[in-house]
Amino acid sequence: MQSTSAIDDKSSIETKYKRLIGLILISPWLIGFIIFKLVPILSSLVFSFTNFPLLTPEETQYTGLNNYLFIFRDVTAGRVLVETLKLAAIIIPLQTFSAIFIAALLNSKDLLVKDTVRALFFLPSIIPGFAAALMWRGFVNPSTGWLNRVLLDPIGMPWLNYFSSGRASEPLFILSSLWTLGPSILIMMGSMQGIHPEIYEAARIDGANRLVRFFKMTIPLITPAIFFSLILNLTAVLGGTILLDRGNSFRGADFSSYDGYVRYVLFDTLQMGYAASLAWVFFIIVIIIVLILFGTSNRWVYFPDREN
Amino acid sequence: MQNSIVSSTINRFLRVVPFNLLVWALLILYLLPVLSIIVTGMMPTEQLGDTNAPLYPARIKRYTYQGKEYQVYKVPMNDGVKQLAMIEPGALSSLFVDPQDSQTEVIEWTGDWNTLIGVYEFHPTWRNFTVMATSLPFGTMLRNTFLLTLVGEIAVLASSILVAYGFARYKIPGGNLLFYIMIATILIPEKITFIPTFYVYVAILKWNGTVLPVLLHLFFGNAVYIFLLRQNFKGLPIDLEEAAMLDGAGPLRRLFYVILPQSWPVVITVSLLHFFYTWNETRLASIYFGTNPELMPISFGVQNYQSLVPIDNIIQASTVVMLIVPVAVLFLAQKYFMQGLVITGAEK
Repeated sequence: MQSTSAIDDKSSIETKYKRLIGLILISPWLIGFIIFKLVPILSSLVFSFTNFPLLTPEETQYTGLNNYLFIFRDVTAGRVLVETLKLAAIIIPLQTFSAIFIAALLNSKDLLVKDTVRALFFLPSIIPGFAAALMWRGFVNPSTGWLNRVLLDPIGMPWLNYFSSGRASEPLFILSSLWTLGPSILIMMGSMQGIHPEIYEAARIDGANRLVRFFKMTIPLITPAIFFSLILNLTAVLGGTILLDRGNSFRGADFSSYDGYVRYVLFDTLQMGYAASLAWVFFIIVIIIVLILFGTSNRWVYFPDREN
Repeated sequence: MQNSIVSSTINRFLRVVPFNLLVWALLILYLLPVLSIIVTGMMPTEQLGDTNAPLYPARIKRYTYQGKEYQVYKVPMNDGVKQLAMIEPGALSSLFVDPQDSQTEVIEWTGDWNTLIGVYEFHPTWRNFTVMATSLPFGTMLRNTFLLTLVGEIAVLASSILVAYGFARYKIPGGNLLFYIMIATILIPEKITFIPTFYVYVAILKWNGTVLPVLLHLFFGNAVYIFLLRQNFKGLPIDLEEAAMLDGAGPLRRLFYVILPQSWPVVITVSLLHFFYTWNETRLASIYFGTNPELMPISFGVQNYQSLVPIDNIIQASTVVMLIVPVAVLFLAQKYFMQGLVITGAEK
């Protein structure tokens, strides 16, 4: 009787000790989370209810909901918000489908020199954002760019001048978003490699051809990877921490994006309070989108654990 | 028997060859902008405005006549188009000599020389690279990037590995919730945390022009890296660790001698991700190093230079220079890198 309680004592001390070690181990992140995420987010919230001029902080006054009410009347804010969401709605499906397609190609048994081909497909993802922007600008240049001279001319297509027009940055940004596929491709490839070959074998015996196997088996089985890469791409487009953060050089100077507009309000008009309220509105929109994604994930993402 | 082997080999060949051709065609299409800047980076400056010039680095052929160099043009004559060197251009008529035949007289051709098309020869030049190399402090910039990478790597790897180990192997009160919170922080838009941190760093702490705003947060781990490492640590068998524990090994010893030796692919992957990030980072550098050019890393230096230089092919050349190091690193480490990310993808 006594001995069991002694063991209990000892093990409870051990778990306490283990918990303490665990807590110490994760403490760098926990402290960093408080200093670099939680406190700044809450401070932004506080700033957003004031006028907080960047250069004369002593003149800061509580302005209540004024900043938020002003956003509704701010034509530019509305425009950049719609444009950013519109871009996301175009870019994210484009990235997802392209990544699935390329991952399927790179996973094929028939592919030769696999490692090199895979690394080459990954290559654009490590090019600095400003350099990528520059390359694409050069590429679509109406008179000297290779888009016209190498791709369209030989097959007799008319030359495109579209990209040099005033609204050039948008299609360019969409095109160059195909250059950030690397991480998504690898995640989907990994997921495809995790599928047991026996499943395919059984389907093949039942007479399912390649396309049927791909759409009815591969795609449903890799939905967790699709979900993960969807979240990653969404974060990238909406301005969170990105797996390979390259910065967005297409946007910024001209405030055609929400990011650029917040920067402009902060650094050029020096209204920190208004910038903070713009950032908070965006934050709430991102939270809503992410919650919708997670809410619908039950219906289309295959979770192996839940079946058991 | 023999026949079926032959026909299956032919079948495989017929499948493999077109498939690989398709993949390579797609790859070339995908990488075409990269190829195009490498080529433009080697073009002579006068080729850029010249719409008749070929796609490869080229210049109009030169011919030396009486000790001076002249350009060779395609000139339509009565007896067909001839390649002639122009010694005196004119709007109504120009003077030419025939490079094939040094004995001939000067030929006069009537017409505007501007309508003539030159004879081009392959002529790559390194001039764009040398112009850029001499106008940028490459030594200082490379040193800065190297130091930022070194300190950043050590800080972010050490902290992320410890945290990932804690999440993977220890029951922490509220651990699951904390882990989900950590994943959620990946989704937080940067601008919302940026405004207050910028104010504190610049207005209160006066850290403008120091490396602190760029490096400090790395000592507290990175959520994406922690996630990748934790997934990998969790997938390792626990037996070895238990054996080490019975031998009296503490948590850090187990991490160093049992976990890490089995985790090289993912550790290399994370350090590569951070290397690519540091090598390419311009946003923080442009905000915090603007007042102190001494600290300028290569990414921001080159970006800054590109906004000042109006000549396209020098800009392209500087972009090529920016690519050399990361591409070399990607290919040297491709095996580990592909492994590291692929495994983690499968885990989730």
